[in-house]
This record gives sequence, C-alpha cells and structure tokens, in this order.
Amino acid sequence: MSSPAGSSTGAAALPLPAPAAREGRRLSPTFGLAVPATLFVVVALMAPLALMFRYSLNRFVPGQMMVDALTLENYARFFADSFYQEVLGTTLWISALSTALCLLAGFPVAYFLARQASEKWKGRLLLLVVLPLLMGNAVRTAAWMVILGDKGLFNAVVETVGLSPVKLMYTPTAVVIGLVSVLLPFMIVTLQSVIEGIDANLEAAAQSLGASHLTVLWRVVLPLALPGILAGTMLCFILSMNAYATPVLIGGPTFHMMAPTVYQQVAKAMNWPFGAALAFVLMAVTLVLTTTANILVQRRYRRWSE
Amino acid sequence: MEPLAINRVYAAISAIVLAFVVLPLGAVVWVSFFANRILSFPATGYTFDWYVRAWQMDSFRNGFVTSVETALIAVAISLALGVPASLALVRGRFPGRDAIQTLLLSPMVVPGIVGGAALFMAFIELEVLLDVDISGTLPGLLVAHGLIALPWTVRLVTASLVGMSPAYEEAAQSLGAGRLTTFFRVTLPIIKPGIVAAALFSFVISFIDLEKSIFLVGPGRTTLQIALVSYLEWNLDSTVAAVATVQILIIGVLLLVSDRYARLSRAF
Repeated sequence: MSSPAGSSTGAAALPLPAPAAREGRRLSPTFGLAVPATLFVVVALMAPLALMFRYSLNRFVPGQMMVDALTLENYARFFADSFYQEVLGTTLWISALSTALCLLAGFPVAYFLARQASEKWKGRLLLLVVLPLLMGNAVRTAAWMVILGDKGLFNAVVETVGLSPVKLMYTPTAVVIGLVSVLLPFMIVTLQSVIEGIDANLEAAAQSLGASHLTVLWRVVLPLALPGILAGTMLCFILSMNAYATPVLIGGPTFHMMAPTVYQQVAKAMNWPFGAALAFVLMAVTLVLTTTANILVQRRYRRWSE
Repeated sequence: MEPLAINRVYAAISAIVLAFVVLPLGAVVWVSFFANRILSFPATGYTFDWYVRAWQMDSFRNGFVTSVETALIAVAISLALGVPASLALVRGRFPGRDAIQTLLLSPMVVPGIVGGAALFMAFIELEVLLDVDISGTLPGLLVAHGLIALPWTVRLVTASLVGMSPAYEEAAQSLGAGRLTTFFRVTLPIIKPGIVAAALFSFVISFIDLEKSIFLVGPGRTTLQIALVSYLEWNLDSTVAAVATVQILIIGVLLLVSDRYARLSRAF
C-alpha cells in the first residue's frame, strides 16, 4: 500500500490478487457472494442516478412540478444564467484555493510523519490527524463558528491585544479556512503513505553528493511523490467541490456554492429537472477537471520515471 | 542547514498545522462549559448546565437516538453485504472482478449530495407508485446509510483478506472441512480484526453523514447531524457546543478502539 504508484487513497481500489492463468475464465461459485452487494449498489445508487439523469431532461412547470420531456433546456439555463455561472465560479476558485493551501500546509507534515523514526510517535501523530476528520462536518464547522464568529474566540483575542475586531464570519476567507482544516487530514494521510514508500537512501545519496535539503525535496522527493500529490490534490478538490456544511454555515445565506444549491433546488424549490441538471453539471465539471489533471500529471510522471 | 535544524523546522510546521486541525475542536469543548448566558469570551464561570439542556431538547435527543439506531442497522447491512462480497472479490476467480470492486466502492466516489438527491427522487417516485412512505422513514434512511457504510466495509475487509494467506483455508479444506466450516472456523477468526474495524468505522461514517441524510430526514425523524446543522443555521451557543462535545467523545472512543484492530490511517 505504500508503493508510490499504488496509493490507496480515495476510491482507488486495493490491488486484488491476480487470478491464476488457468482459472481466469472460469466462473467460480464464490461469485454468488458478491451478488447481493452488487445488486444493492445498482438498485440504491446506479438506478437512482440514472433516474435523476432522465429527470434532468424533463421540463419544470411551476405548479405542476415536472412534465415529461426530452430537452436540454435545464442545462442551457445553467449556462445562460449568470447567477449559476457565478455559483460554479465561486465553487471552483474556493476549491482550487483550499486544495492549494492543503497541499502547501500538508506536505511538510506528511514529510515529517513519513520520516519520523519512532513508530510509536508516528502512529500517535497519524491518529491525531485522522481523528478530527471523523468528527463530522457539522461539529467541525461548529468549532470554526466558535472561533470565527463576530464575538468569537479570534476576535476576543484580537480585542484583548488592542486591535479592532475583524469581520470573518460569512466571508469567503472564513469558508476557505474552514474547508482547509476539514480537508487537510485527507491530504496529510495520502501524502504520508506515499512519501513513506520513497527510499530514504535516495535522499541520503543526493545529500551526500552535495544537494541541499531544498534541492533534495525538489529533485528527488517531489518527483517520486507526484502520484501521491496528485491523489491528495484530487481528493481534496473533489471533496471541496461537493462541500455542504462549511459553505452553508460559515459562508452564510448569501454565499453560494454548488452542493447547497443542488439541495436548495431539489428539496426546497422542488425543481427536480433543474436540480438534477445542476448535480450532473457539478459531477461533470469535477470529473473533467480531475481527469485532465490526472492525464497531464501521469504523462509527466512517466517521462520522469523513464 | 544541519539535519537536526531541518527536523526542527518540520516539527514546528507540523505542530502549527496540527494545531490548526485539532484546536478548533478543543475550543468547542471549552465553550460547552461556559456559564455565560450568551456565548462570549472570556468565560464568566463554568457549568455543566448546557449538557442537561441539550438532552432536554427534543431535536438533539431524538436526533441522537435516530442516528445511533440508523448507524447500528447500517453496520449490520454493510457487514451482511460487504463481508461475503469481499470474500468473492479476494478469493473468487471470475471475469469482471475489478469492475465489481469499483462498483462496490463507488458510493464513496459519488458526491453525497448527488447520491442523496437521486435517492430522494427515487423514493418519492416509489412512494407515488406503491402508495407507501419511504422518504423520511427509517427504511429510507437505512438504504442511504447502508450505501454509505458498504464501501468502507468492503475496503477494510478486502484489505485484511488480501493480507491472509489462502493456504490456511486450503489446508482446512484438504482436511475435509466444508466451505462454511472453513469460513467460520478459519477465515473469520483470522480476519476478525478487519471486521471489527470495519464495523466501528462504518458506524462512525454513518453517524456523521450529513449530505445524503439531509434529503431523507422527515418531520419527527432527523439524524443528529441534521439537527446540528439546522440549529447552527440560526444559533451558536453552549448547548450546541455540548452536543458537539458529546459527539467528539463518543466518536473519539470508537475510533481509538477501532485503531487497535486496524490502523485507521490505512483506511483512507
């Protein structure tokens, strides 16, 4: 799991043992054991997604909710309405900025953890990184509200020092702060497992040949950690594109990102066709961006490793 | 720079970054004890009253009960479906194995809000079709939460199966044990840590889910996370901090226990 190219982060599947050459084409009876789970995912996830896609082609008539149709007008509306363009734009730049900050802040921590000599301490520190991740976005966002609020901890400290309070709550800055702290653990854990798989002797060798630490990082560690950097960046970007609690609670009612807008359209405005189209635009934009980045970086990586 | 100095720089940066991740949680725990009537700094005194008040609030108490109930059944569903599937994936030899693995892990990839919206629409359609309530009921929530927990179970259990040599099972079978006996007497005891970790982890993942549940809660049936978010949209006080603190405590204990069975950082 620690080989640089085989990071297990995100949805990357564990490598399954290769089937024996002879058995490859034969259906073994164990296949049946996977059927219930497969059916469950097909029925509870894939079929509803297909249904929602179909709905995105329907027409919304106020009062009647949804009328059967085969039209792209919901998608057209998204690309014609400057409000939704802005929502997507905000989502994109907030996500890009948060992801970049996660990478900057996460790399040194991941490197420190990966090169930590004491296994015991490494385990404890990793646990400290992972625990907050699983406390739930509602709780973590509440925590940031306590700090960033107009009468919050941050402003209390600022005023004690004698400076004037800062308006943080309901600003994009606060949203980025909240997102970075929510996403950092994902970045750290991903990078750490990849850096751990890089032979420390390579760094020692470069150093003994006179490279400074920064040169070693730039010329040895960074190229080798590239798949991990990519995996961590993708993960943070995707999660931040789909963030719900942080933009709603810290961004406030006038701050709009895609995921809360999808919820608003589907569950509140009950405009299913448009809400469905929004959901697919969000997925498609995320998919196109991450796939493009993946291809570009993989190509670069291959060139380096040759 | 000397290696020692470099190491100190890394240690210092790591300390700051970790503080940034961990300290907010400390702040929320701290303010849950404030005696101030309206949340402000500094504290005028300390009290446990908010915990009592939080428990007295229907939305939080019922939300907590619903969340625990949902998470427990979701764990059962994800184990019942995920353990056999993991066995098939790791020990089975059939074409399309990788595709099925990808499919089983896909609930992790599809954004919660998108999956939740799709499930919500499907449920409403089914309601109209069958004339029963699904959205806003426990079965509806359970489908969503089973889906949330399943990929993590599959991932943790396949990982422990991959780490187990099939030689043990082959030995048992060559000595005459049937498939079921082999599973319950040989495989299960060996992968037990993976299963325990999967159960605890699935519980936590289901308990903290927000994005899928938000579509599927109904009047009178709300999970704790939804109750927290709807409260936080209008208020921020020590009551909600008390609820958050209880959640931090419960999840913290569960995760520390599950970390003894399988390194948590490996789950990602």
